[in-house]
Amino acid sequence: MKKTALFSFVSALALLTASCALATNVDKHDPNDPYESFNRAMFEFNMQLDKYILKPVAKGYRAITTPDVRERVRSAFNNIKEPISAVNQLLQGEIKRSGTSVGRFVINSTLGLGGTFDVASAWGLEHHPDGFEETLAKWCVPSGPYLVLPFIGSTTPRAFTGEIADSFTNPVYWLTEDREDGYYAYAGYVAVKTIINREAVLDLSDDLERNSVDFYTTMKSAYMQNKSKLNTCGNESQATYDFDFEIDEEVDDMEI
Amino acid sequence: MKKNIFAVFLGLGMIFSTGAKADVDVDKADAFVRQVTSNGIEEIINANVSQKVKDERFEKLFNQSLDLDFIGQFVLGRYWRTATPQQRKDFIKVYRELNIKTWSARFDEFKGKSFVFTGSTPSSSKNQVFINSTVAMGEGAPAKVVWRVKQTGNSFKIVDIIIENVSLAITARNEYTAFIKNNNGNVEALIKDLQQKVNAPATSKKAA
Repeated sequence: MKKTALFSFVSALALLTASCALATNVDKHDPNDPYESFNRAMFEFNMQLDKYILKPVAKGYRAITTPDVRERVRSAFNNIKEPISAVNQLLQGEIKRSGTSVGRFVINSTLGLGGTFDVASAWGLEHHPDGFEETLAKWCVPSGPYLVLPFIGSTTPRAFTGEIADSFTNPVYWLTEDREDGYYAYAGYVAVKTIINREAVLDLSDDLERNSVDFYTTMKSAYMQNKSKLNTCGNESQATYDFDFEIDEEVDDMEI
Repeated sequence: MKKNIFAVFLGLGMIFSTGAKADVDVDKADAFVRQVTSNGIEEIINANVSQKVKDERFEKLFNQSLDLDFIGQFVLGRYWRTATPQQRKDFIKVYRELNIKTWSARFDEFKGKSFVFTGSTPSSSKNQVFINSTVAMGEGAPAKVVWRVKQTGNSFKIVDIIIENVSLAITARNEYTAFIKNNNGNVEALIKDLQQKVNAPATSKKAA
């Protein structure tokens, strides 16, 4: 019964990915990035959004806070996600790790003053974030192609599905009894989290953009490489970055 | 008899293929990376010298530790073969300058941080090995940094740095080959663009 339900779910996800592919104009010149034209247009839209809204807000947040305050805020936001990790670790069959995430959440929410201090790590309970995307990857669901969505940015069908699922296991969504209020609370949480994440990479992203000759490709390459670490499907013996580094041989474009 | 000959050849083949991949002194490669990171932290980041001296030291360490000729050739991908000898030379030069400029400006961000070395992983490329390390990042999970080291004789050089599974060599290769492709295969256009970035004024060293 459990296997049937799992199969149905994975099939539905595959169907969703396939329908996405059919619904969009496929750019045939690059098989590694079939939606490149669409993605580049969305990337440009998001860059403008970043330039005029997100980046100034992130800079403002940096201006009115100290590094220590920002560290405490980041820690609290990490703590909020512990229940998401716990649920997904259960789905992955990682019972002990799930228990650790629960323990971390309880300890850091109380002794760690609402998660602002990571007391649990000092006690040997290591932080191991997991989301539904990690669970799907563990179930050998492929990531699908690179996508850039308006307001959301870089993603893949698997990552986007994971984000949606994680929103329902986020404690913020269940803070209030009313589901509509929960939705608004979650939207506020996402907005703040976006600013916090943007502030953390202000200098790095400026540098990357300034020194890049094709910023879209740089971001795509980095994003997909980072995600490829999830694609082991149980076989973690070979590192995904262990490509053939033999420059004397005939080599074609190496898109990852 | 035939079986025995086959077994001998198979055995020899296995010895040579294993030998080729394992033809790297892992302990020395590990010690080399530890020395590079230690020099960077002690002689550059923590040194009580002017920024100009720090930049000079960084350039020296960079040139001694990284095989930019090898990496540059790799990141140009198939366009390396079509580039003229002069273009190859110009590309390596400007690629080296841009990397030094970029990393020199960001090096201070490692202040107060230290690398924890966690062993090595074999590479599928001969004479190469991955040296694994982590860097504590505030209260989040530590960042995973892997150094790809190539041995030539008794000399060791870093040929790639992989941060959180993102290979800097692959990223540069994807970016540069995409740029050249979108410029009708013109390597000169890439060299010109990179030169402009090298010539652009340097930005402030570090934000809050």
